[in-house]
Parts: sequence; structure tokens; C-alpha cells
Amino acid sequence: MSEQKVITLICERACDLDSVCNEQGEVKEVDGLHVVKLPCSGMIQPLMIEAAMKAGAAGVIVTGCQIGDCYYREGNRMIRERLLGQRPPGLKKTVDRQRVLALWLSRPQKDRFLSEAKEFVAFVRQLPAPPPPAAKPAAK
Amino acid sequence: MYTSIPKGLTDLTLAIEKGTNAVISNRYNPFYYHGALPQFYLWVLFLSGLLLFAYYIPTIDNAYFSANLVNAWTSVDYITGKLPMGAVVRGVHRYAGDAMVITIVLHALRVWVTDRYRQYRWVQWISGIVLLLMVLFIGQTGYYLVWDERSLVLTRMTVSACEALPIIGPGLKAWFLNGSAITNLTLSNFLFIHIGLSFTLLFGLWVHYVRMTRPVITPPPAINYMLMAVLLLVVFAYPITSGKMADINSAPTSFDIDWFFLFPYWLMAKVDLTTYWVLMIGATVGLCLVPLPSLYKAAAPIEAAEVVLTKCVGCSLCANDCPYQAIEMVPAPAGSRFKLLATVKPYRCSGCGVCVGACAFDAIDLPNLLDSDVTAQIRAMAEAKPN
Repeated sequence: MSEQKVITLICERACDLDSVCNEQGEVKEVDGLHVVKLPCSGMIQPLMIEAAMKAGAAGVIVTGCQIGDCYYREGNRMIRERLLGQRPPGLKKTVDRQRVLALWLSRPQKDRFLSEAKEFVAFVRQLPAPPPPAAKPAAK
Repeated sequence: MYTSIPKGLTDLTLAIEKGTNAVISNRYNPFYYHGALPQFYLWVLFLSGLLLFAYYIPTIDNAYFSANLVNAWTSVDYITGKLPMGAVVRGVHRYAGDAMVITIVLHALRVWVTDRYRQYRWVQWISGIVLLLMVLFIGQTGYYLVWDERSLVLTRMTVSACEALPIIGPGLKAWFLNGSAITNLTLSNFLFIHIGLSFTLLFGLWVHYVRMTRPVITPPPAINYMLMAVLLLVVFAYPITSGKMADINSAPTSFDIDWFFLFPYWLMAKVDLTTYWVLMIGATVGLCLVPLPSLYKAAAPIEAAEVVLTKCVGCSLCANDCPYQAIEMVPAPAGSRFKLLATVKPYRCSGCGVCVGACAFDAIDLPNLLDSDVTAQIRAMAEAKPN
């Protein structure tokens, strides 16, 4: 399972990954870590995270600017509240919360991203495979 | 992004803010409340001003008390010398004004450095400049009100500056003095300008905030206490002293300058009045032109979000989350299954996509980045075979 992909959904104003990515948006240092840039982390739909999981991604990293500092005023706060279930629309209960990592990093914090991402990728790949959709875990 | 600002400056700001976050956490980082700081000092000024107003007498002499002269200067002297805590309230009023100018300038600087002043934000920038000018003028009228020798010099300098203006000059002078010469009516006019314009600030602030959803106008209490502590520290370290009482028959020529409010008078003393007005008006117009589109290179033009009319269910989630009040819920057309329909005001839209993230029905889209394309890209990446 070590080749499972991890998708990063990132705000283009948060930590600058251009120098560590190839043209396809894959981080060179970490195999199978892909980056999708959005104008603001507030644009990330919980549906996008669910779609990535359904398509077989091992995990999703959500990255925005430092909380409190959003170019568009509130975007990173919005997505944080959605991930925490404090603001609709939220993530489905079936999404394994262990497989979602949120990082709030400003533009110069590239190294912090790489170290956190490496740790996270290694962690989600050793997690047991998610149960097939038929066997839904009991709702909490 | 950040195209017209030196990159090092932005990175420096981000680095300082990151360091501050590490020390006091982002909840209490004053950099994230930069717009709310002057607002806090405004409340301090309103409250301390109300206390001063109770004892202030806006006259230059008072015939009814001829045995014992009572005028603006003696009332201020009474507040400072006799009234319990009067000197503290006066000091708070004076230094909170200075602090307000400092925080406004820092606010404007951060907004400029982080590139948050243009395009859909031009209303905030222009109204901010108008507010700053109003604050400066209100502060200057505060210096006329104490009616010491400095007040007299400042009043005379302002009159000569007004007279130098063509056409509106004489009228402006008559309005400023409330007559043709300095009389008791002049001081009541100053008090009216000082207080009336202060309340007009609230209208200006409404214009400043109207395009923002949930404007941050109140710092957390911890920051308020800190701001107040700094203020009181200055009040006790540098107590306010009045100058000599103004005498209309004398002609004082020099005075101590408060650089936060009185720098225009420093300029006025250095250059002739025509140059003075050209410089002042030029600086104001120049500041107003900072968000002019031709002065910066936009990375990509903003394309306003578009509602997919067939999918919108009128749930208002996007309108609630839009940070710029750009989405309005209107009654849905007749025959629709839903009561409301989202509409986008394109001139307010920043193209940030927060509404896309808020929509659970795929009913709103950025034309240059469809969320269906993003989802397709994510799927393709997740499913791709390792090479």
C-alpha cells in the first residue's frame, strides 16, 4: 500500500511549494504527494476531500494561511470550522478523521510543511485499509 | 498575488507575525486586530471626552464672571489642577488621540504591505483616507480648545491658510472663526467641530465597514487591557501641562509641536501657503490614487463567482459566508421550488471561492476555476498509477 496517494489542497498564498513541486504538482521529495492549488483555502469543499478518499487517496492535507491572517479575510477560518463540524457544510461522518491533516502555514514556512507532510504520509500509509463501503462503522 | 509590493517587505511582515504568534498565540496577536485598535481608542476618546465636556467652558472670556476670569483655559486648568483624577482623564484623552493616529497609520501600512487595499477594496481605502483626515482635523481642533498660546498661534495660522485659498477662502475663514474675528463664538464653534466631527466619524466608519461581513472591530479584552495599560503608563510618565493663557493682544510665535497632529503646521511654517496647499492636496489625492489599476500588475483579473441557477436551492450558506457582502439572497422567480435565489454582485466579488466551499450543492462556481474541474483533478491524482 505504500504507493497510495496523498492529496494536498492548498491556498496559493499559504506556504509556497512551487520550488519543491514538479510540473504535475507532485512534491519531488515525497513520493505520491500531490498538490492542488486554490485561490483560498476557504474554497475547499468537504465534497472535494470525500472525493479524494473515494478515489483511493490515503489521506488529504488541507493547508491555509495562519489562522487570523487570510488575504480574503476569513477563508482559512471557514474551512477550519467546516472540518471541525462547526459550520455547514461539514465532512461526512464516514470520512476517517485520522486521514485528514490541517496545517496553517504562512508563505515562508515551506520546511515546516515538508516535515509535517512526510510524517503524515508515513502515518496514513501504515493505517489499516479503510473498511469496504458496505460495512459502515456505527455512527457516533 | 503580492505583485506591486516588494516581496521582502511582505515576507518580513509574515515573519514578524509568525514570531508574535509563537509567543502570544494567534488569538491575541495584535497584528490580526490592526483595524480594531484605532476603533478601541475611539471609544476611549468618546468616554474621556464626555468627562471633560462636563467641565469645559468654550469661551475666551466671560463677562458674567469679570471679578474672577472664567474661560476655556481656566476651565482646563481647573480640570487638570483641582478636579480629582482630572489630569488623568485629560492625559488619557490627549494620548489616546496620539495612539489612534499611530494605530491608524500602522493599520494602513499593514494593509498596504499585505496587498489588501485595491480592486474590490477601494471603498475601504478611500474612506480610510477620509477618516484619517477627519481624525487629524478633530485632533487639531482639540489643540485649539485648550486656549493657551499655542492655540492662538494655530488658530491664526489656520486662518491665514484658509485666506490663501481662492474663491472658498473667505467663506472658509468665516466658518472657521464663526465670524470675522476671534471671539467667544469662535471657541464654541471649535467645540462644535471637535464633537460634531467625532460623531461623523461613526458615519465614515459605516462606509468603511459596509462591504465587509463581520468586520473585526473589537479586539479581545486581553488586548484592550494591554492598550489601556500602555496608555496609562504614558499618561503618568509624561503628565500634560498647559502653556500660558492666550492673550489676543499678544503675538506668540513659537510652540511645542505634537508630531502626530500638528505636522501640517510645521510644514506651513516652512513653505509659503500656495506650496503648502499644493503639497497637502497633492498628498491626499496621491494616497487616493494608490489603488489605481494601472499602478499594479494583477496576476489574474478577478472573475466574479457565478450562481448555477438550476442548482441553487436558496439555502443562504454562501451569502452567510461571503466575506465581502457580495452575495444577496433575492426572492426566487415564480414557479421555482425554492423561496430564495443567490445573486452575486460582481463589483464586490473578490473571486476567493469561499462561497464555492460553502455550497453543498455545487451551485456556485468561479468561472476560471470550476469546482468540478478541481474535483476531477483530485480524482485523477488519487487514482493515477505510480510510475
